[in-house]
Amino acid sequence: MPLLFPEEDASDVRRRYKPDVIKGDMDSIRKEVLDFYRSLGTEIIDKSHDQDTTDLHKCITYIRDFAPDVNKSSQLCILVAGALGGRYDHEMGNLNVLYCFSALRIVLLSDDSLIYLLPRTHHHEIHIQTSVEGPHCGLIPIGVPSRSSTTTGLRWNLNNTEMRFGGLISSSNIVVGEKVTVQSDTDLLWTISIKKL
Amino acid sequence: MDLMHHSSTFLLPTIPLHHGPSLTYALVVLNQTLPRFAPLLWKHAQLRLCADGGANRVFDEMPLLFPEEDASDVRRRYKPDVIKGDMDSIRKEVLDFYRSLGTEIIDKSHDQDTTDLHKCITYIRDFAPDVNKSSQLCILVAGALGGRYDHEMGNLNVLYCFSALRIVLLSDDSLIYLLPRTHHHEIHIQTSVEGPHCGLIPIGVPSRSSTTTGLRWNLNNTEMRFGGLISSSNIVVGEKVTVQSDTDLLWTISIKKL
Repeated sequence: MPLLFPEEDASDVRRRYKPDVIKGDMDSIRKEVLDFYRSLGTEIIDKSHDQDTTDLHKCITYIRDFAPDVNKSSQLCILVAGALGGRYDHEMGNLNVLYCFSALRIVLLSDDSLIYLLPRTHHHEIHIQTSVEGPHCGLIPIGVPSRSSTTTGLRWNLNNTEMRFGGLISSSNIVVGEKVTVQSDTDLLWTISIKKL
Repeated sequence: MDLMHHSSTFLLPTIPLHHGPSLTYALVVLNQTLPRFAPLLWKHAQLRLCADGGANRVFDEMPLLFPEEDASDVRRRYKPDVIKGDMDSIRKEVLDFYRSLGTEIIDKSHDQDTTDLHKCITYIRDFAPDVNKSSQLCILVAGALGGRYDHEMGNLNVLYCFSALRIVLLSDDSLIYLLPRTHHHEIHIQTSVEGPHCGLIPIGVPSRSSTTTGLRWNLNNTEMRFGGLISSSNIVVGEKVTVQSDTDLLWTISIKKL
């Protein structure tokens, strides 16, 4: 965080950007970092005994089950930084978290792209924020082939089109305009590029 | 069912003789930062292709991996055999430079239906018989992961579209390839350069039954699917992993930082 505010004092930046919770199996966090945030009042939840789920999975569970204030009055949307890139098995494990918690809005973000699930239980309208995202996009049938998907608002729309790995998937597509609609018989992953500004 | 052997000997400084199947390597460079071991892959490959902007990467970044040498010398030494793709990313100076050195330039700007990687794989399969003929071909791809996520997924799909070919996607952190359901698989782990973190991912189709040996958490006729169990954050124990499955699985293993 201090590197993103090079003209400010690092300690000031760190105090301003204080996490509410640090959670996980604690095998990566440096002691000095842990002590610093603990002294500022951050809640530390050590889950080092639980090796069955990824760190992201643990965090999503925490937010869903133990942060009712966040959950209560309006729809919750969980933004995740750092889920993509790095070790590929980690990236896949993080992608699976979207599918495991398909009833929650979870957005994975990198410098280049954002991705989230479009559950098959709904028709979807995606309002494109053209100042910050697009035009490159894709619809990906990760876990299960799609027998029928239909879209509007893309350069190459789908029309009851089959999609599957080993065949057609919608990548290198382009959003035209400001609204995309999607309906499908299966959960699809939506991805759109983030503009470099 | 036949056995298929896999070994990441392309990450070793020299490839041991009589080590598993005799493989001929081709290298495809896509438009992402070159992995730090790109010169090693280049050395092992008999055919080197750049997909469009991948040529920019070789031109700009190979000299950075040899900081004590003259940039022009490095560029001449790491000259691709072919540059192929729709040519919308390669810089004119880079195109002219390699063309003047004799690199074959194949402009496929009219073909918008397939990704640059898809075009390169097709080219290697169909038009590079020398590479294909005498021994098994293995296509190494640098720059397929990271960057735009729809590109990464499109590149992953190329593995499934060409499931009869050995294609390995490499980044600085990981390598991935397909284990086709048509074979039992033996993966010989090169512990000096890869592991221990690994995973088996059922992309595209759920797996009703997968069985492994050699992992910390083995599968035993286990179901795997997105939304349920997938094998990530697994660990290789020892030097041999075996896999059999009713579906094509993606194998991924971490590359050691040396």
